[in-house]
Amino acid sequence: MRIVVGIKWVPNTQAVRFDPKTGTLIRTGVPAIVNPHDLPAAELALRLKDEYGGEVIVLTMAPPPAIQGLEHILGMGADRAVLLTDRAFAGADTLATSYVIAQGIRKIEEEWGPVDLAVFGQETIDSSTAHIGAQVASWLGWPYIYYVKKAWLQDGRLRVVRQLESAVEEFEVSTPAVVSVAMKALKARPVRLSYKLRAKLENPITVWTNKDLGLDPRCVGLKGSPTIVSKVTYLPEVPRKKIVYKPKDPRDAARWILAQLFSDEKTREALYKALWGGA
Amino acid sequence: MVRVDCSKLCPEWPCEQPDEFKHVWVIAEATEEGVSEASLQMLTPALEIARKLDSKVVGILLGYNVSRHADTLIKHGADEVIVVDDIMLSEYYPEVYGQVVVDLARKYKPEVILIAATMRGREMGPYIANTLRAGITADCTDFDVDEKTRDVLLIRPPFAAIMLAYIKTPFRRPQIGTARPNVFPVPPADESRRGEIKFEKTSILTARSKLISRKILKREEIPIEKAEIIVSGGKGVGGPDGFKLLEELASILGGVVAGSRKAVDAGWISHERQVGQTGKSVKPILYIAVGISGAAQHMIGVREATRIVAINIDPEAPIFNQADYGVVGDYKEIVEALIEELRRLKEAGPGAVEELIREYTQQAQAVGQG
Repeated sequence: MRIVVGIKWVPNTQAVRFDPKTGTLIRTGVPAIVNPHDLPAAELALRLKDEYGGEVIVLTMAPPPAIQGLEHILGMGADRAVLLTDRAFAGADTLATSYVIAQGIRKIEEEWGPVDLAVFGQETIDSSTAHIGAQVASWLGWPYIYYVKKAWLQDGRLRVVRQLESAVEEFEVSTPAVVSVAMKALKARPVRLSYKLRAKLENPITVWTNKDLGLDPRCVGLKGSPTIVSKVTYLPEVPRKKIVYKPKDPRDAARWILAQLFSDEKTREALYKALWGGA
Repeated sequence: MVRVDCSKLCPEWPCEQPDEFKHVWVIAEATEEGVSEASLQMLTPALEIARKLDSKVVGILLGYNVSRHADTLIKHGADEVIVVDDIMLSEYYPEVYGQVVVDLARKYKPEVILIAATMRGREMGPYIANTLRAGITADCTDFDVDEKTRDVLLIRPPFAAIMLAYIKTPFRRPQIGTARPNVFPVPPADESRRGEIKFEKTSILTARSKLISRKILKREEIPIEKAEIIVSGGKGVGGPDGFKLLEELASILGGVVAGSRKAVDAGWISHERQVGQTGKSVKPILYIAVGISGAAQHMIGVREATRIVAINIDPEAPIFNQADYGVVGDYKEIVEALIEELRRLKEAGPGAVEELIREYTQQAQAVGQG
C-alpha cells in the first residue's frame, strides 16, 4: 500500500499572537510541534505498512521550519516526506489548504505511483476544525471516513472500525480513500535513531513550491480562501464561581455539593436526567 | 449589493453572485424514531439569523422512512422542509449524505447552511462546503449578521478556547457553519404551525462504503469529549481502586470517568481518557475533579466545561480558584457519601431535592445573617 499521512506543524502553547491587520496568526517566535492528534494517524499508517508492506509518505503544507515535523515522522519509520511550501500559500483557510494538499497528493501519485490511502489526524490543537480530511476527499473525489480507531485489509478491501458518540461502527471502504484517526486512538511509536540517521543519509524530503504544483495563485493562500477572520477577541479567563466549602463531615460535603448543583440552572437538568430520566 | 468580480476568483469555483442565494437551511439528522435533539437546537440560531436577514428557515430532512418527521421541524420553527426520503439513505455515509445536500444546495441556492456539530455533522459539513467551494466555520458558539452586507458572522473559539474568532465569508455563498450540541436550546414547539413540505429525489445509486456492523456503546465506553458528565481523577486518587470508586459515582450520574496526565502515566486509567493539553479537551455540563491539583496543563482541557466541582484535601490547591464549587476533604469519604446521597435521592424521587436545597439555602442565609 502507498499511504500518505498529512500532518500539521502547530504552535506548542497558548503563546500564539494574532495580526489584527491581516487577520491571520503570527507563528514566528512560537515554539512548534507536530500536532499531537496527527501522531495516531502516523501510527495507523505505519502499522498498515508493517502488516502489508508498501510505503508511508508524510506530507505537510507549511513554511520550511516544519521540516522538523516531517523528520519526526521519518524517525517513526515513514519512507518519504514532502513539504509543500510557498509564500503564496500563506493565510490559507481550510478550503485553500486542502486544495494544496490534494494537489500535493496528485503530484505524489505522478512521482511515485497511485496512493491507496490518505490519513489525517482527527483535528488540530490550534484550530480544531476537523475539516481537512473531508475537504481533501472532496477535491480528490475519494470516499472518506472519520474517527477511525483500527484499520486492516480484508479480501483486498479496507476495513475500519470507527467511534461515534454512542456507537462503534465497522465499515468497508473502497480505496483510494481518506480516513481521519480518532484522537488518542493509538499510541504513537517512539522516534528511532536508526531511522533518523537513515533519513539524514538518504535525504528523503522533497520540497515542492507552487511552481512545482503549478496552481493558479487565485486558488491558494489568502486569495483562495472564502472565509476571513474579521475580528478576534481574547478570553483570558473563564468566569468561575469559586465557592469553597469546608464541610462538617463527608455527608455534609456531599449534600452541599448536590444542593449547589440542583439549584444551579446550568446543571439541574442534567442531574434530573441522570437520576430520573428527566425533570 | 456587492458584485463579485469573476476574473478574481479561483477558476475551480463557480462564479455566483451573493444575491442569487436565499433562505437559511438547517440540515436535520434523523432516524425512523425522529429528528435529533442537536439538529432541532440548530433552529434557534437559524431563526435568529433568518429574522435579521428577513428570510425563511428551511429544514433539510434526509433518510429513509423519515418523511413524517418533517412536521417536527415545522412545529419547532422551520417555515419549510425539503425531504429526501430514499432507501439509498437508510444508512449514513458521509459522502452520500454530503452529496445529497450538495445537489439540493446547487438547485435551491441557500444563503446560509447550519449543521449540528455532532460527530457526523463535523464529518459531513466540510465535504458539503468544499464540494460547493464555499467556506465553512466549525463549532460555532454564536452567530451574528451584518445586515448591510448580509454576511453572517460565525463566532468560534479556536486555540483551546483562549480566543473567540469572528469569521465571515464575504462574496461567497452559502455561508456554512456547524454549532456544538447543547449551546442553543430547542425552540419551543407550536402545534398549530403549518409549513410547506417539498419532496426531492436523489440520483445517487451506490455508496463506496458499506456499514458492516454497529455496536451501541455502553455508558462507560462513551468518549470523554462527548460526555455530559465527567468524574475525573488525579494523583490524589492514589491508585486503580480509587478509580473504581470514581466509576461508581460516574455510573449513578450517567457519566464517564477521565483522568489527569499523572493518573494516566501511573496506569490507573487509559490514555484515551486523558484530559488536558496533551490529552483531550472536554466540554461537559459537569466536571467533577477529584484529587486534581489544577495545573495549567490540565485546566486548559476543561475551559469549556459548564461547571466544575473540585474535591481536594489540600485547601491551597490551585483548583479551588478555578472551580465553581469546591469542597476540602478526603476524597474517598466524600465520593462515598456522594454515591450514598445520590442513591437515596434517586430512591426518594425528585421531591427530595426541594428539601435538600431548602436546608442549604437556610444554612447559607443563616451564615449570611451571622
